[in-house]
Amino acid sequence: MSEQTGKQLSKEEKDARFEAELLPVLDPLYNFAYRLTLDEDDANDLVQETYLKAYRFFDYFEQGTNAKAWLFRILKNSFINEFRKKSKQPAKVDYSEVEGYYNSDDVEGEGGVASTTDMRTESVQDLIGDEVASALNALPVDFRTVIILCDLEGFTYEEMAKILDIPIGTVRSRLHRARNSLKEKLEKYAKSMGYNS
Amino acid sequence: MESRFTETHQKLSDDGHESECDKIVKLLDLMIDGEASVEEQSYFNTHIEECVPCFESHQKQKLLKGLVCGHLKRVIVPESLALSIKARIQETV
Repeated sequence: MSEQTGKQLSKEEKDARFEAELLPVLDPLYNFAYRLTLDEDDANDLVQETYLKAYRFFDYFEQGTNAKAWLFRILKNSFINEFRKKSKQPAKVDYSEVEGYYNSDDVEGEGGVASTTDMRTESVQDLIGDEVASALNALPVDFRTVIILCDLEGFTYEEMAKILDIPIGTVRSRLHRARNSLKEKLEKYAKSMGYNS
Repeated sequence: MESRFTETHQKLSDDGHESECDKIVKLLDLMIDGEASVEEQSYFNTHIEECVPCFESHQKQKLLKGLVCGHLKRVIVPESLALSIKARIQETV
């Protein structure tokens, strides 16, 4: 009886610690999952799975160390090991959907508001964001991953090496190739926006 | 001008030896990611003060990074997610 109470207390403590240390990473983690899977439901599943794994291995997690990198690493591994197999290669489908959407004339035609100055500034911002997202989503997942980790989440090369289980030299070369590839995709668009080389 | 930076430098590398500009290309990412050492930073900055193509490449690389971190929209976490994580953890012994 007393043993059970003790156990329950420690579980409560563990849960509280777990929530305090790891739940604040939920937002970046979900965004990472979404950028990997390109699907909100899949991202949801992947994040839940990551937290459950993290909970199982929480005893190995040293308090105060880099919780974000630790969770990102677990999520990346889950994605590779289980998720990727069952995923239906959504990248191309999603990209072409977005592409089709922006190529269709209906978008501008129906709204009619896009011509007012305020709307225009805002929609240009949105459009750039959408364009960057499409270009990024069209990259191979390994390239997409390093760009997200570095530019969106601000991980250092060393942290990225740990998350991805690759040497720092590989992080650097992969990032370099990923950026060249992204640059290529955005170059045409950038020129149309007036960013000439 | 249609000149593409990557292509320009591939040509330079064909000579067999590494030019100063080649070294700068390799430092571009380190510079924009804040990973360059003090020596690398000063080498880089001295070079781009005098070399217009490398200066422009640096600007472009910064712009590219800025596009991702400044314009890529973050997706909003569904409110139910944190709750269901907490619930599933509580179930776990």
